[in-house]
Amino acid sequence: MNRFLATAAVALLLQTSALGVAHAQALNGNPLSDVRVRQALAYAIDRQLIVDAVFGGYAIAADGLLPNGPFKSPNLNAYPYDPEKAKALLAEAGWDSSRQLEMVFYYDDQITADLMAVLQAQLAEVGVDMTYHLIVGDVAKTLNSIPEDPKGKSVVTWDLAYGARAAMAMQEYFNDYVTGKASADGFPGASELDELIAASNSSTDPDANKATLMKIDEYLNTNVLTIPLYYQQLYSVESKRLNRNGEPHGNDQFNYDWNIQNWTVEPDANGKAVMYTNAAPIDYFEQPWVNLGLWAGNKLIWAHMLSAKPFLDGVAGGDLAESYVMSDDGKTLTMTLRDGIKWHDGDPITVDDVTFSLEFALKTPNLHGVVASTLNSIEGAAEYVAGTAEHVAGISADGNTITIKFAKVNANVLLSFTQWGPFPKKYFEGVDPTLVQQAEFWQKPIGSGPFMVEEAKFGDFSSFVPFADYYEGKPKIDQVIAWASADGDVNMVKNAAANRIDFAITKVVSDIEAIKALDFMQLTPLDIPYTRMMWINQYDK
Amino acid sequence: MLTYIVRRLLIIVPMAIGISFLVYLALDLSPGDAVSRMLSPERTVDPAKLAELRKALGLDAPLLVRFWIWFSGVLQGNFGRTLTGGVPISRILMERLPATLELSVIALVLSSIFGAILGTISALRRRGTTTDNVLTVAGMIGVSIPEFFFGLVAIVVFALNLQWLPVGGRLLPSYTSYWDHIPNLVMPALVLSIMMTAGVMRYARSAMLDALSREFIKTARSKGLPEWRVNLLHGFRVALTPVIVLIGFRLPILIGGSVIVEQVFQWPGLGSLFVMAVRNKDLPVVMTIALLTVILVLVVSLIVDILTAIIDPRVRLGN
Amino acid sequence: MALSDIARHRSYLDRRFDRIRALEEAGQLKTPSGSRVVRKFMNNRLAVIGLVVFTIILLASIFAPLLTPWDPTKINLRAISQPPSWEHWFGTDKTGRDVFSRVLYGGRVSILVGLGSALISAAIGVIIGCYAGYVGGWLDAIMMRISEAIMAFPEIILVLMLVSILGQSLVNIMAIFILGGWCGIYRLVRARMLSLREEEYVQALRSFGLNRALISFKHMLPNALGPVMVNITLSTAAFILQEAGLSFLGLGVPLAIPTWGNILNVAQDLNVLQNSWWLWLPVGTVISLFVLSVNFIGDGLRDATDPTQQG
Repeated sequence: MNRFLATAAVALLLQTSALGVAHAQALNGNPLSDVRVRQALAYAIDRQLIVDAVFGGYAIAADGLLPNGPFKSPNLNAYPYDPEKAKALLAEAGWDSSRQLEMVFYYDDQITADLMAVLQAQLAEVGVDMTYHLIVGDVAKTLNSIPEDPKGKSVVTWDLAYGARAAMAMQEYFNDYVTGKASADGFPGASELDELIAASNSSTDPDANKATLMKIDEYLNTNVLTIPLYYQQLYSVESKRLNRNGEPHGNDQFNYDWNIQNWTVEPDANGKAVMYTNAAPIDYFEQPWVNLGLWAGNKLIWAHMLSAKPFLDGVAGGDLAESYVMSDDGKTLTMTLRDGIKWHDGDPITVDDVTFSLEFALKTPNLHGVVASTLNSIEGAAEYVAGTAEHVAGISADGNTITIKFAKVNANVLLSFTQWGPFPKKYFEGVDPTLVQQAEFWQKPIGSGPFMVEEAKFGDFSSFVPFADYYEGKPKIDQVIAWASADGDVNMVKNAAANRIDFAITKVVSDIEAIKALDFMQLTPLDIPYTRMMWINQYDK
Repeated sequence: MLTYIVRRLLIIVPMAIGISFLVYLALDLSPGDAVSRMLSPERTVDPAKLAELRKALGLDAPLLVRFWIWFSGVLQGNFGRTLTGGVPISRILMERLPATLELSVIALVLSSIFGAILGTISALRRRGTTTDNVLTVAGMIGVSIPEFFFGLVAIVVFALNLQWLPVGGRLLPSYTSYWDHIPNLVMPALVLSIMMTAGVMRYARSAMLDALSREFIKTARSKGLPEWRVNLLHGFRVALTPVIVLIGFRLPILIGGSVIVEQVFQWPGLGSLFVMAVRNKDLPVVMTIALLTVILVLVVSLIVDILTAIIDPRVRLGN
Repeated sequence: MALSDIARHRSYLDRRFDRIRALEEAGQLKTPSGSRVVRKFMNNRLAVIGLVVFTIILLASIFAPLLTPWDPTKINLRAISQPPSWEHWFGTDKTGRDVFSRVLYGGRVSILVGLGSALISAAIGVIIGCYAGYVGGWLDAIMMRISEAIMAFPEIILVLMLVSILGQSLVNIMAIFILGGWCGIYRLVRARMLSLREEEYVQALRSFGLNRALISFKHMLPNALGPVMVNITLSTAAFILQEAGLSFLGLGVPLAIPTWGNILNVAQDLNVLQNSWWLWLPVGTVISLFVLSVNFIGDGLRDATDPTQQG
């Protein structure tokens, strides 16, 4: 019944005729608040040429924030490259050609510098003068600061910002556009958009959500709140020694049902099957609730409550939980733990570990946004975080079953639990959740996943060995050696060229081109929700 | 002499404190802190949680208080923990120091030996001769190529094309004895040595030329001693003194001097740790490395002064 | 011992004196004209070669617009990564910019950073060193402490910290180099002034009642300039290499500005390093040649200005 109501509400919203183009005039002292100027910028950029020339074809020109595929609205205006139209729109809007636009960005790599030079040249062709510079110092503050009053003067100097959103859940693309949310979108906010965003987060009906999300993308597209530039593809880099044995590829920036325990790798001269990878820690293992599936440690050491389909488009089944039931109203989730699951130290994983970890997670800083929004929707979460309740009222346990009651419907509950798994309670008693990352535990974490940490030579490599008691069976690979590296580290290619990489992921075009030249390596492009875009600061100036 | 040494040692203390404070102050005034560097710009995080984290890490205290907490810890031999991962800094130092030391000690020894020998040969062959010119040019080329570029080309040639040496890194789980990682050490150590040899060589050359023009060499020569004895026993010994001084001054530089080589060869030493700590604004780490190098420099320069005074009686300490 | 043996064993010096005597007897040994330093420098083959190369690169950078029709920042996405041709001598980079013109214009910035920082830090060092060294007193004491503090840091550590404090820009990079560079020259000049102060000609000048600034700058400084010039060349070479190193670490001059370091930085990409030699070889060669030539000049100057070494 409730579900029907929610769908109806969304349907009603979709019919509202007020969802139109903003008035064709500047709304404040900032010329970028004039939709015609923003449209002109969109028309002035030749995305396809950029993709082909700057990104060597390893990206896809974007017309919306949402990626191609099921969430793509058919009603988007692609703003095809049209410098004449751009000039006409600028003239109509009375563009002052002495006004210089300031563009900021935060990637310090060569390709971004090249892209900036290209954007500058393309905007110059339509008579828009643009300068660009890398943000140094406090990046988040420079990007995300907004005035307290949405009608107030902008508190940042930039006009345009180049950045990206990597989404686990599609709502992540739009949640920042809510009025008053400090973020880089530069949009002061609109009540109609706020309502749509709220609707997209509070329904568990995938079809209704999809329709709402498309509507939001159309709204952004029509009003050119942000200019999407291109979709970045993720590439899986694998040596020909490695055999996935039919297990699927997926979005490797997150956790999915990848079944690494079934992978095999050709044994070396000593008969040992060693898989080489990168993304090992530099001086501690990052706790896995921040970047979910990003690092070697996160993926290998930890199991999760549920497991996701390869591209996170639904739940593949239970992981630590053998079964789960979501109530029709989307407000109660029950999960039953498997029997006989163990931590790497041999102790059983219990319901107690899970309930403790749920409460612990609520108080950690830097919890991944989607997981945070799920956990904060639990009944009594706010009281617990504020310190007025000793426990979260909505979490209860009975035997092997955990029941979670939600105060408000959250669209991504199941998805969150495919990315989230518990920590062993006994190591965290007495640890301040705020300082979770600073705990000694992260020097050699005791996890629940297919591999356990054997040795960590920080800054050099980490070695992982199969966990014999892993519930899906002991992995067939004898050892995983991961080289210490940061995200997008250039050393991955050097290691790959020297036969020291069997599995890695990369989004870096130069890496992809270099790997392509190695005949003992293979590349698999993966379409992930990762959109690079240009934010426009519309606040008054 | 003794009072001089004591006085110098006493000056080191306030200088180290003063420099530490200035560095702390300057780093602190620059925008952003460790917490802001932990965030990915692609995600927004609850500001209330960040405020709590700052508080828990003690970043919300006034500058002087924070400096005092750090500094009083150091006085008790406790360097504190990293802000980002809570790892005891002394442990990180113990892990990384051997990596940096083996690299730099080898480079220092090799560059000193080769630099001294080549510089002497170059000086003995007289200015302008072919040998002198070839050695000078070869040595100069060593210092004229950007370090990272030299390293990258070495990797392409020796690790990727010829496959003689590993591409980088220091240790492997399969390494059981100390000697196992020697192949990993060869390239970074040689690149660093070659970059440093030319400097020593030029010093040795001019010191040798200087020594050869001194009166006592002429006296030795006029006594009819064979040329090689004059050169080696008299000239070389005298020329060595400034070279030793130079080497002494290089000791502390070695800690930071290998930053780029460590980066190119994925070498887990103090240099790459320092670069990372600076980027992360992990102040306790930056401060610890800075303080240690400052003390090392000050102590080494004192030792060099004393040594020079012992060797050369014309130098009077205290002026 | 046969006479021929003695002749063979004659030392280098003997042979040299014989040559001089022969020249003298033939009446070819003229009184040399011009400065002795210049003459000694010009006799040093490597130094002269260095000076020539240095001048060529410097002039080519300064007169870049006359040497190439291409704008170093003008992109052309329809002509990317082209190997060298008659049109583009060093080929084009990944956004279709002409590499030859980028190397020339990049030289302007890199030489400005290198030579400019070296000259400014030398000027600061000389002024303070000259005055403080001669006059002494509290100014000298303060400057000594400051320079000790700065020199207590290994160079790269100091530069890394300053970059993170000040941020990356062309001006900041120069400021950082100057901040780290003036102390060396200051101490060198100061030491020289301290010893010159005791010379008789200085005492004579003082007894004439000349003011201290005049004595120190006009009469003492010229006698200290030799080592300073050597130091300037060495710093220039070091700064240019440091600029390249900083851009490797991602902390150099912003990538939007073409500098030698920024252009060479593409060599980090293994694919470029192995397949697109024109993107790194010419600029790498130019950097090395320039640094090499500056070093040779420095060596030549050192030999030429050192009175204990005979030319």
